Amino acid sequence: MQTKLNWRIAALKNGLQDATAYRLEFLFEVLGSAAVPAAIQTLFWYAIFKVGGTQELGGLKYEDFVAYTLTSILFTQIRGGDHDFELQEMIRSGGLSNYLLRPCGAVEFVYLRGIAPKLLIAALSLGVGLAIGQAFGIQPGHLIGAMTLALIGNIIHYQIGAALATTAFYWEEAYSLLMVKNLLVSLLCGELLPLHLFPSHLEWIWKSTPFYLYVYGPTQYALGRWSNSEYFFHLGMGLLWIMAGWALVNFTWRSGIKRYLSLGG
Amino acid sequence: MNIQTLKRYFDVFHVQVRNNFIREAVYRTNFLTAIVVDLIWIGVEFSLFTILYANTSTLGGWSQVQTYFFLGIFFSSDALFTTFFQRNFWNFSDLVNKGELDILLTKPISPIFLALTRWMNLTALFNLFLGAGIIFRFKNEAGFQGGIQWLALAGWLLIGVLTAGLMRFTFSIWIFWTERSWALSRLYYQFFSFATKPDTLYPQAIRRVILTVLPFAFIGSVPTRALLNGLTSYEYLQIIGTLGAFFLINRTLWQKGLQRYQSASS
Amino acid sequence: MIQVDNIKRSFRSVKKEEGWRGTLNLLLKPQYTSHEALKGVSFSIEPGAFVGLIGANGAGKTTLLKILSGLIPPTEGSATVLGQNPFERSLHFRHSISLVMGQKAQLWWDLPAQDAFELLRAIYNIPIPTYRQRLEELSTLLDVKPLLQTQIRRLSLGERMKMELIGALLHWPKVIFLDEPTIGLDVLAAHKLREFLREFNQRQKATIILTSHNMDDIERLCTRVLILRQGSLIFDGAPSQLTRSGLCQLRVQTLRPVPKTELSLWTGISPNAIHYSSTEADEESSEEKPTGTVLFTLEREKIVSTLQTLMSRTTLIEMGIEEQSLESVIQNLYANETQLANRSS
Repeated sequence: MQTKLNWRIAALKNGLQDATAYRLEFLFEVLGSAAVPAAIQTLFWYAIFKVGGTQELGGLKYEDFVAYTLTSILFTQIRGGDHDFELQEMIRSGGLSNYLLRPCGAVEFVYLRGIAPKLLIAALSLGVGLAIGQAFGIQPGHLIGAMTLALIGNIIHYQIGAALATTAFYWEEAYSLLMVKNLLVSLLCGELLPLHLFPSHLEWIWKSTPFYLYVYGPTQYALGRWSNSEYFFHLGMGLLWIMAGWALVNFTWRSGIKRYLSLGG
Repeated sequence: MNIQTLKRYFDVFHVQVRNNFIREAVYRTNFLTAIVVDLIWIGVEFSLFTILYANTSTLGGWSQVQTYFFLGIFFSSDALFTTFFQRNFWNFSDLVNKGELDILLTKPISPIFLALTRWMNLTALFNLFLGAGIIFRFKNEAGFQGGIQWLALAGWLLIGVLTAGLMRFTFSIWIFWTERSWALSRLYYQFFSFATKPDTLYPQAIRRVILTVLPFAFIGSVPTRALLNGLTSYEYLQIIGTLGAFFLINRTLWQKGLQRYQSASS
Repeated sequence: MIQVDNIKRSFRSVKKEEGWRGTLNLLLKPQYTSHEALKGVSFSIEPGAFVGLIGANGAGKTTLLKILSGLIPPTEGSATVLGQNPFERSLHFRHSISLVMGQKAQLWWDLPAQDAFELLRAIYNIPIPTYRQRLEELSTLLDVKPLLQTQIRRLSLGERMKMELIGALLHWPKVIFLDEPTIGLDVLAAHKLREFLREFNQRQKATIILTSHNMDDIERLCTRVLILRQGSLIFDGAPSQLTRSGLCQLRVQTLRPVPKTELSLWTGISPNAIHYSSTEADEESSEEKPTGTVLFTLEREKIVSTLQTLMSRTTLIEMGIEEQSLESVIQNLYANETQLANRSS
């Protein structure tokens, strides 16, 4: 039991150290990747509404859009990273073999290493959100709930990526597939646009994927646009997705590794 | 620079294109994804503007069809850049960090030329056709004259590629001074979103920036304006001046960077 | 052909410490450490020579090669290759040299060698009939003709190295710099490569400078050996000069291990010329743990008297006499540079 916990903690530590080796740069990078797109997006809303003269879009006004964009900053940094690329590279180059010899799961190891800095960022975001959110009408309870949803989203994202990465067992590389996945996700998670801009007959597109749980869901709940019952419904959906994801990852990796070993790595 | 040299550079370019084609033919999956990715992207931009125009008749002084025409030009220009240069810039940091630049420096040909023609994404040419298709579809309604203007359009596409290349170079060159330049690359792509919308949409302060220091407007907005309404001579001067300045700055940065690379390399 | 005058090369790197203070210090008052890779090296090489450059890792071999191929400038001193300053990297210079680094691939691995070579043909502007003829010659010599259509990625390490070498020679360079070309190759492949290099050197009268850790490479190919130690040239001459000197190795096995000082006292042989077999000793410390098997480096004439002394002082189980291997000569060189001054004069 001790060893099981040990390597997991080691993975977390390793991931944290790796990311924060240059602490000042780390902070700059996080701030940069959070603030710059949000600023550009807000500028865009400003252009559309104030300069362009639009009054409302999809039933929402300028202030709603800006509130959405700014609040989403808290969650865009937590949503899944590119560790599935790491997995597919390991498969492609044969580096996976190292992990198969050790008493730890490669998939889990890479995940824990990747989640560590995200957890740090989540804590920071939570802190910032709690501190200044009050002034903008964000309830603390909602914020915590929203952060939980975002972290669940992170897990699901990795699971999907890990499952897709297994195509590298069969083809030369899964790189392109993962790129397409990333594009779809960035569209459907709500970091570019609030998803309720989708016309009603197209809502099923984003509702049938779990991506909205990454940014859109948490932002809506934090802003109080989702009721508690809605929140718990989607939380439940998220947990269902995690279970499905877990089964998918297990299945695809088991088959993939069989093939990997049978080919001599 | 004489005919001989030009011929040689053209010969090398030709081989690079051929080799990239051979390479891409081996990895077939990339074929599909390059197309799918751009189709989705074009779809999103179109939808965005459709939604916006459902609420208003003009945006920044442009009608809906004129904005679609703009999108066609932007996508065509971007497709060219993606085909020939994008991946080379992505790998720029590897070139310096892993010392692969050394191999290029020993060859009797410009190392920048070799570096920028190494990787191509020929399947992205499909997107050029897509963009051209969009241009064709909306040109009449937008008020495009046709005739000799087609040459002008081709010229503007090249200017768009040149602009993107020069800017990308300026953002990438810092790899000689710092190991973690990917943050700058990411910043470039975040600013790049300014190129995907008509510049007249933005407040004056921003407009001035994207027409001069960060001339993203040269990729889509300015060509569209030039082709539909024409530009003043001052604006032409501005373009030449800006691109010229970028070229000179890049050349100096490259020389300084190379010096540093060579004095630090062990 | 190649003239090197007292070149020095040092590298300055920034020290970065951990933590916030480290980063701030970096911005405010950066601290530098300086490392002298080359400390005043001079030599000259005639055209057509086959030179071996030996040294431990970090001795300065790669730095020297990079200076000679024009990649980095010396901090002091001058180098001339083919009558030019390599760092200027003139077009003519680049047409005439070739640099092969064992660990860095030059060719595109996703392509068959045939197509990868096309790029080199275009870059070096080789006329097509000449190119075809050279490719034919080189690939036949190296036994890889049937492999030209295969993706380089799918070839074995040895075959890949051969392709890299062909790529490096297509333009028939006058000076060739090879940095560890046989690294990772099996015995057969390395042998083939050596034969090929020797052939090329003799036929084309190309000057070849080769770095290697493999003594076979040096012994079998090089007419001249340059040995670098921590940035200084400690030997410049023919390999035979190193082993000729009339020294040989006496190996004895004693019943009980005897410390060096005692052995030295008995026989009158300096402790530097006494080594124990199968010990772990690093270059820095001269401490070797005594074992039963001792190696003496001494002149032939002294063998009998030394054996007599040893037999009277302790019990010998076994003994043997060997020619001194190049490797042990070099090890000795590292240990004691002053012996050289006497030997090469």
